[in-house]
Amino acid sequence: MTETKLTLSQKIKNLDDEVEWFYSDDFKLEEATSKYKAALDHAKAIEEDLKSLQNEIEVLSEDFSK
Amino acid sequence: MNEAPKFSPTEFIAVVNQTLEYSYSSVLLEGEVSSFKINQGKWVFFDLKDEESSISCFMSAFQLRMPLEDGMKVVVRGIPKLTKWGKFSLTVQAIQPVGEGSIKKSFELLKAKLEKEGLFDPAKKRPLPDNLSRIGVISSTQAAGYADFIKIINERWGGLKITTAHTQVQGLDAADQIIRALNYFNEHGDVEIIAIIRGGGSADDLSVFNDEKLVRAIAASKIPVITGIGHEVDESLSDLAADIKASTPSNVAQMLSHDRHAEIAKIESAISRTKQVILQNINTALRENRDKTSRIARDILAKITNFNNLIAQKIKLLEALNPEKVLRQGYAILSGKVSPGSVVKITTYEKEINAEIKEIHDRN
Repeated sequence: MTETKLTLSQKIKNLDDEVEWFYSDDFKLEEATSKYKAALDHAKAIEEDLKSLQNEIEVLSEDFSK
Repeated sequence: MNEAPKFSPTEFIAVVNQTLEYSYSSVLLEGEVSSFKINQGKWVFFDLKDEESSISCFMSAFQLRMPLEDGMKVVVRGIPKLTKWGKFSLTVQAIQPVGEGSIKKSFELLKAKLEKEGLFDPAKKRPLPDNLSRIGVISSTQAAGYADFIKIINERWGGLKITTAHTQVQGLDAADQIIRALNYFNEHGDVEIIAIIRGGGSADDLSVFNDEKLVRAIAASKIPVITGIGHEVDESLSDLAADIKASTPSNVAQMLSHDRHAEIAKIESAISRTKQVILQNINTALRENRDKTSRIARDILAKITNFNNLIAQKIKLLEALNPEKVLRQGYAILSGKVSPGSVVKITTYEKEINAEIKEIHDRN
């Protein structure tokens, strides 16, 4: 089975949804610890991504003086 | 006389022009405009003078990129030429006002003109696109402003594709180069926003951003344009025509990117608040449980008290009905056949008495 690679924005959106669960009517104390652990793992992964993410900079070779 | 070269007027003018072209194919002259006029809406004539001298200048109206008036100080780039009438003139290729007064005057005249045309209409401004990932930058890659922009955007965020068009950002050729770069991005269409960046400089350095053609190109861009030109206090017509004006190149970087450190802090705070939510829920559950237990205990106690009260009432009632209590009050119980001559038993609190009935009669 192939795992879909999520973009950083999607990961952040998913984390937002996970956090939202804790404030929703679906909240159940018996599920909270496992959900918290999962959210914490995802948060750590996002932090790593954020710290290592680089921009791609390209300077065009076109000569705009002509 | 024989040693001197001999020419016809046409030949002489050609030779002089050839010599001029060889020696000064293009010159920059700075001076004050006088006798400015536009003929048939196509040709521009003026003299460029200083305290002692004056040179006739000629250019097409198309090349005039900003309003000119007599008395303005300008720098022109042109080709010196002798006309076929033997008059020396400068064919102007580019012109730019210099000095704060002239730049301000030209700025105000062009601003009024373009404002009237609606080029700066706030209703036409487009917002920053959401979730930017592809940014086009027009700047000089050697400029400090560009270095600031790249440094700050790299510090703040990642995953962006930044495509830079290297152009001059000051001088007579800068406006055309920036326009070509704008056209390039608009034609290729693979960026979501175009940032025009230039660090601080003198009014002369920044005057390129008041070029009419450039201002029109910015206003006409299909892709939203953000400008970060000079310092906070500087305002150019390019800023007014752009969709978004940032105060500096660094500010452009801030506006186009999230702050990864703030994002990390936000995530950490969200997770920490989540932990608090769990603890709060645990505390609430414990409190509710405690409340329930004490309510049950209270209910049981109340029931026991009620029951005790009921029993006490019953006991009181029973005590009230006890015959012994009546005997203690002095009454007696008569038992046996009640007829004259018969013996009956009389029970008092302390004694039992057998007595014979002598007579019986009604009380009333």
